[in-house]
Amino acid sequence: MPEFVLILFTVVAWVLMLIGCVFVIAGGVGLIRLPDLYTRLHAAGVTDTGSTIFMLLAMLLMTVVEYQNPWIAGKLLLILFFTLFTTPTASHALAKTALLSGLVPVDENGKPIIESPEMASKLALSRAPEHGEVAIAPGVNDGLQKSDGRGNENNDKSEGS
Amino acid sequence: MSIEHLTIAVLLTFLVATAIGIIVLRDLLAAVILTGLYSLVAAGAFIVMDAVDVAFTEAAVGSGISTILFLGALSFTQHEQKPRGRDSWLALLFVVITGGLLIFGTLDMPRYGSATSPAQTHPELAKRFIEQSADEVGPPNVVTSVLASYRGYDTLGETVVVFTAGIAVMGLLGLKRRRPEDETPEHAPGDLPHEPGHDTDRLT
Amino acid sequence: MFVAAALALLATMILTIARALLGPTLYDRLLAVNSFGTKIVLFIAVFGFLTGRPEFLDIALVYSLINFIGTVAVLKFYEYDDLGSGAYQEDDF
Repeated sequence: MPEFVLILFTVVAWVLMLIGCVFVIAGGVGLIRLPDLYTRLHAAGVTDTGSTIFMLLAMLLMTVVEYQNPWIAGKLLLILFFTLFTTPTASHALAKTALLSGLVPVDENGKPIIESPEMASKLALSRAPEHGEVAIAPGVNDGLQKSDGRGNENNDKSEGS
Repeated sequence: MSIEHLTIAVLLTFLVATAIGIIVLRDLLAAVILTGLYSLVAAGAFIVMDAVDVAFTEAAVGSGISTILFLGALSFTQHEQKPRGRDSWLALLFVVITGGLLIFGTLDMPRYGSATSPAQTHPELAKRFIEQSADEVGPPNVVTSVLASYRGYDTLGETVVVFTAGIAVMGLLGLKRRRPEDETPEHAPGDLPHEPGHDTDRLT
Repeated sequence: MFVAAALALLATMILTIARALLGPTLYDRLLAVNSFGTKIVLFIAVFGFLTGRPEFLDIALVYSLINFIGTVAVLKFYEYDDLGSGAYQEDDF
């Protein structure tokens, strides 16, 4: 491979790695400083995925520059692949379970944006609103009361029509 | 101070902090989560110290299986540790003596990365393993030959210990009936498992 | 480059451990542990490149999977208060 391509790869790897470092540190600071679980979840979840992408891409470029080993590149890509699946899934499961157990998210003034823990549990068991449908706000959609995990589909269909 | 020493120092500090957290916490589920974290940190320290096989085992067993086994045990009990009446000084004494003996035992070992350790001063043994294990034992992987043949009795002992522990865990988890089935039916997936008020009490 | 990345990851691990110890809710701890798992996967990869032996990436791969399994197992337990949903009983043994 010509010399200038390797230098270019190294420079790009530096830039990507620094972006990844900024992501990582921002996520750590957010995890400490943000006020409640859902905002912390946002900070940690987004930066975990972002920093993994940037750092692994940087390492991939350095593999091309230094080692020229397809196995290493393959493993890096495999780690990237799994992380892209598992980190968002874990964040989603965490948020859903927290909401289901009645942990109420708060707004910037520290005021709860859902009336009660019961409402939060119902919200966790409901489905995302269809396009054009009014999003579920406290007290608006009382039809959700009967819904549970299994009867959910039927209830939603009857409401949508 | 090299980056490796710095990393080891930081990771060992993490271990101490996590262990103190596990002791202090009353919420058993949170303690189980921190136990998984402890194993993860320990495995990271093992990797930095080049003990890759130990790190592999620690990650799979400590962070994966034992967390799930702890959770299985927790489903038989409460999530909250009962307040202890008074701390037993005898137990503390035994723990301190045992820990002291273990630390005393490590004093005979060569220091980490020491150039005068037996592995460095007797290179002919490693040379023989690397050159002749394929003929003497068979498998192409030297570590497999050492584990399964050259120190086979040691490995057998380890396996017996692990097997006994496995049987004990199976016995503890399996032999005791959880709850009478006719009184409390299993809830279907997706049902609200508890009263929500109860859950929020448990959170903090 | 890799020294800088390793230091950044170590600094963030300190913050993450602090959140795991502080809580206050169980989910905060779980989030911190999950985040720490991602950090340590990255750290192992970076450390492999730092010491010139990227063969350790296998372990990073295993960690990223185990970490996910652990998180989901805890969440499932917390949601249903049971791991097997009654799948195994005394009669199975």
